[in-house]
Order: sequence, then structure tokens, then C-alpha cells
Amino acid sequence: MNPETIIEKINDDIKDKIQEAALTAPRRINVKVGRERLNEVLTYLKEQLGFTHLGTISGADLGESFEVVYHISNAVTTVNVRILTPRAEPKIPSVCAVIPGAILYERELQDMFGLVVENIPDPRPLLLADDWPAGEYPLRKDWHFNRPAEIIPGGE
Amino acid sequence: MEYKVALGPQHPALHEPISIRMTLDGEVIRDADLKLGYNHRGIEKLAESRTYIQNLYLTERICGICSFSHQTCYTQGVEKLMELVPAKRGLYIRTLVCELERVHSHLLWLGVAGQEAGFESFFMYTWRDREVVMDILDWISGNRVHYSMNTFGGVRRDIDDLQKKKILDSLGLLQSRTEYYLNLAASEPTFVGRLAGVGKLSKEKAISLCAVGPTLRASGVPMDVRKDDPYAVYDEVPFEVCTADSCDVLGRAVVRVKELIQSYRIIEFLLKNLPEGPFKVKAPRKVKENEVYSRYEAPRGENVHYIKSNGSDKPERLKVRAPTLANYAATIAMLKNGFIADIPLIFAAIDPCICCAERLVQLDDARRGESQILTFSQLRAMANERYKNVNFKKKDIAWPF
Repeated sequence: MNPETIIEKINDDIKDKIQEAALTAPRRINVKVGRERLNEVLTYLKEQLGFTHLGTISGADLGESFEVVYHISNAVTTVNVRILTPRAEPKIPSVCAVIPGAILYERELQDMFGLVVENIPDPRPLLLADDWPAGEYPLRKDWHFNRPAEIIPGGE
Repeated sequence: MEYKVALGPQHPALHEPISIRMTLDGEVIRDADLKLGYNHRGIEKLAESRTYIQNLYLTERICGICSFSHQTCYTQGVEKLMELVPAKRGLYIRTLVCELERVHSHLLWLGVAGQEAGFESFFMYTWRDREVVMDILDWISGNRVHYSMNTFGGVRRDIDDLQKKKILDSLGLLQSRTEYYLNLAASEPTFVGRLAGVGKLSKEKAISLCAVGPTLRASGVPMDVRKDDPYAVYDEVPFEVCTADSCDVLGRAVVRVKELIQSYRIIEFLLKNLPEGPFKVKAPRKVKENEVYSRYEAPRGENVHYIKSNGSDKPERLKVRAPTLANYAATIAMLKNGFIADIPLIFAAIDPCICCAERLVQLDDARRGESQILTFSQLRAMANERYKNVNFKKKDIAWPF
């Protein structure tokens, strides 16, 4: 099995479920899917092609929409499964049913981008402080850190 | 009767505080829950406002022990975005520092494992020998912790023949000492017996929870980024992926000792085959729009950086996933149905970046409603007390070498 045969197999088997599949770099395959098809595609990759290891889930703020990339690897290559979700309705499906190890990454996405992960087994915040204000998502591009004014005790 | 026990989160000496809340049935852990984020520093957001060169030194400061892992992972990702082919000699030196870092990290871990198992002279020995590696790193880079060796297109400092000779001499010493430890551990049944059967993680669980590094390899899965997705010059260097099948802390120790021996071989090969020529090439400042998923085998497992560029001299997005985060889900699985006395050992076995510090444990007695504060050293003393009278010789477990 090498990246070329994997991409051929993906195109043969699940062409109707994905939007695009391409080899972008050595040992890197890019697959674009609609968010409602995500779990089906991940199940196929896991069960038919042995992609069991989820490296991480990366989010990025593209302005009008959010991009979420699931990096899953097997022994020879890594597939970046990419979905888009509109800013007005930032919902993504949970993949924990397929890959249980995804839970911490999904909780991180909820914290950092304000995405709503549907059917997530554990929706509590992961990284931000307990007194973090609601509705503020630090990795969105329109969020800026404003350093609070320095107060010198006993000073002017 | 169920007890709730909170482990952590805060101690001034820790650089990675974490809180684990456990439900106990007697001495057996029935459930564990994790709370992170006590030291969230916002590095990913900060990286978006700095240039690629500035981020080299920012990524290095993500971790103290595997600083070079993060910097190398970031550097080779950006090099791919720049479509830059680094100098061959630079790549050899980069791989050399990678392996030296693995040696110092694994020696550190062995010492910690010895200490948590109540074998404190082992801790003293391995940490003494770790100084040898730290000295080598100091000779090469001028620093003991943050080496600052990488730059886009190669490394920042060359090594000369005198340094080469010094490293090879020290390597012989390390090799003989590591072999001595192997024999020592093999002839010490209490140490082996204490590690065997603790913190079980089955192969299926390890795969489905996406564990990485020695934790995964000790469950019999031969996944190593250096072989699966070779970077730097690992496709030219002969080495073996080390695994164990025992799925416990003993297996994790065996994997790390085997990796130490492989690392010495890799270092020797690199020094003897170091190519002549320049050690760096000139790199552009701006990077055109693209993205890269960079993987690296850090001492603790697969380290991941995802970098998105936007055509300027600053990254659009830098996503970092350190190996310890990937192992947390597996740690919870290991803690379940284990003994409270094994917490220090299980937790140390994933090699989290919190090895050398004390932790506070609050014991809530649900029946009496009283709280009792225990320090990590008291917890360790409790563990040693519990295992003091166990006859490990009867268990008949041998060091698997």
C-alpha cells in the first residue's frame, strides 16, 4: 500500500461521499467532505484502509466559515479530512463514536473557536480558565487580547 | 463505599499542572476524570502575531525537556512551506541533536521510574549519567536546555572534529553504563516485580484512544514516526522500532531502554558518516499561501505541528499537539481498576512533563466527611509501604532481556 493506491481506492469506493481527494505532498492526502458525511468517511478510512491514529483536529478561522481538519494516519501516509462549517451556524458532528481518542481535541475546538460539537460525550470546557467570560473564543481572528491596565498597589 | 480523590492541580514548582479527580472503591480506582488548562499560555494565538523566525524561539519554549522536538517539528514544517531543501550536513547535525535529546529524556525517565518504584539509588545513577549527555549538548550548542540549534535551511552551529571525538568518547561511557543498568535491573527482582502488571493498557485500547510513543509501542504497536513518515535523515540511518508486548509499566521501561541502545547506534552512525559541505542554506522571509502537517517522533511520542501560511512573513495559524496530550485519554484507561498506590508509577510511565516535582493530593473521606492533605512524597511513601512486604520473587517475573 502506498499513497497513490490509497487515493485510487478512495476515489473508487467513496467518490459519491467526498468532494475532492488529492495528493498534496509526499505521504499527505487531502480529502474534502461535507460535514454531514464526515463520520461515514472516517469509518471507511478506519475500517477499510487502516487509518486508526487521529493525530489531532485543527481548526482555522477563514472569516465567513471555519475550517476543521482531521489528521488521521496509518503506517504509510496521513489523510487530512477537511470540513467547512459556516460562521453563522458553527456546528460539527462528533467523531468520538468512530475514534474515541478524539474527545480532548473536540473539547479544545469548542473552547477555542466556539464550535458546537453535536453528540459530544463530554461537553465541559477543557483548557480555558473557570472564570473565562462566555462567548469569547480566543483563536477566532476577530478576538484580540487587551492587556488590562496595570495597577500599582499604593501608587498613583 | 466510594471515595473521591483529587490529584493536583497546583504546585509552584510545576510547569505543567494537571488535576485528576478519581472515584475510589476502597483502594481501587473505579473512575478518573481529567482537568487541564492550569498553565494555558496562549502560544498558538501569540504565534500568529510573530514572524516565522521569531516563532522558532517561541516554539522552542513550549517544553523544557523536549524543546528541540517542538522547534524541529516547526522548522521542518516551515521548510516544506518555503519549498526549501536544507543542507545535508545541517540535517545530520539536526538528527544528532534529536537523538541526544532522546537519550537525556529517556535517562531522566528511567531515574523517575526508579524513584517512583522505591529504587532510589537507580535514580541517582541515571541522573548522574544524564549529566554526560547534557555536557555533550552543552559542547555542541552552548546550552543545556534550549539549544537554539535550528534555523530554516539547516542548523545554526557546525561541529568540528574535536567535538566529534569528544562525543564518541562520552558515548562509549554511556553505552557501558546502560548495559550495566540492564544487568542491574535483571538481577533485582523487586524492581521488575514492582513494574510488571501495573497500568495495563491493551493493544486495542491503545490504538482506539490514539496513544503515542513508548506508551503505544509498549502495547505492541510498532508505530514510530521516524519509520512511518521519515524526516531529517532517518531514511538513511539504520535503526529498529522497539516494541514490547506486556502492555504495562515494565513494557514501557523496556521500550525506553531498547530505544536508548538504538539511539547510541544512531548517534555513532551520524558522527561517522557526517557529510562535508555547508551546514545551512539561505531561506526566504515570506512564505506563500499553503499548509503543512508536520510530524516528529519526540521522546514521549508523536509531536504534531499544523502550520497554515498566508503569503506574509507571519503564519496564519500554528496548531501544536504535544505528545502528552495524546496520552491523557490512555492514562485514564490505565488508572481505571488500578490501585491508588500505583498512581505515581502509572502517571510517571507516560513521562508527562511534570516528573521532578511534588504534587498535592486531597483525600476526602466520604464516610466521615473529613479531608486530609497528602503531598506527593507522602503518597509515594504510602505506595512503598504497601508494597514493602510483597514477595516479588514468588511472582516469578523476569526482566525480558
